[in-house]
Amino acid sequence: MTTIPSGGSSSAVPAQRSWPRRLLGRLPTVLWLTAMWVILWGDPSPGTVIAGLLVGSACYSAAKLPHIPVRLGFRPLAALRLVAVIGYDLFASSAQVALHVLWRPHRTRGAIVAVPMRTDSDFLLAMLSGGLSLVTGSLVIELNRDQGVVYVHGIPIDSPEAAERLRRQVRRTEELFVRAFGTAEDLAEFERHAEPADGEDGGDRRPGGDS
Amino acid sequence: MTAGDVLTAVLLPLGALFTLIGTIGLVRFPTLLGRMHAAAKPDTVGLVLLLLGAACQLPDIRSAAPLALVALFQFVTVPVLAQTLGRVVYSRGETHAEHLVVDELAEALDRSGDADR
Repeated sequence: MTTIPSGGSSSAVPAQRSWPRRLLGRLPTVLWLTAMWVILWGDPSPGTVIAGLLVGSACYSAAKLPHIPVRLGFRPLAALRLVAVIGYDLFASSAQVALHVLWRPHRTRGAIVAVPMRTDSDFLLAMLSGGLSLVTGSLVIELNRDQGVVYVHGIPIDSPEAAERLRRQVRRTEELFVRAFGTAEDLAEFERHAEPADGEDGGDRRPGGDS
Repeated sequence: MTAGDVLTAVLLPLGALFTLIGTIGLVRFPTLLGRMHAAAKPDTVGLVLLLLGAACQLPDIRSAAPLALVALFQFVTVPVLAQTLGRVVYSRGETHAEHLVVDELAEALDRSGDADR
């Protein structure tokens, strides 16, 4: 994750914008902060809401957060599917890791596989690496932003076939994320990459003869 | 005994079990990366199960909402921690070849002449 450039093309913001528009852009964050404030107080009375708005705005101006235009789509059905798959994967991979913990932890092996990504959106990649680190017995180690390749450590993996399975799982998770949160252009770009890439999936990356 | 009590009686021990296994994994896995898997995933599942079990004992949805926030922040922060530590572990060379079937990151770094290590 060290190679994500902060000033990519998608985060180029015009320096001067009229203040109502700037206020509008900050509104979602302030509303979210207010919602958390109200939940933590456990009491949705007008006084709490107003205090939350004040504290949220104060935090926002104190932190001087840069405003990055979020360009994400949202498809409820696909998002629901994503949540279901991630929830299931989280549970299944936990059970699997738990089994290896109890059974023979000293002989459990992992693998680091390179997975070329088919999307180029900063937000999607960030969400994807978060989701991957959470589930599927995988851990994103490195994200090569220039080439669009993520390096994922998976466990338990004991053969090149299992490594291939991990790669497929990562690509499937990527597809779910793009379909749930990608904009129309992200989706179009994804489809364009998907067609030629699927046939020769990682064909040039066969590992040398290690075990 | 209500349905909520039964759910709590099932979910709390199950959550505790997952957390326990995650902690055992932390001790028993041989490599740092393996330990991070054990620390991140079964613990998250364990926490969610514990929170669900606790939520069943609360009187209404309003008092259960802070528990949802706990789960949300766990989901948001664990990947960040795992990723940061994972990268540090890798660049410090704390990986052991005998525990890795494939290491395509090393191959890529070799190709690029260690550009960004």
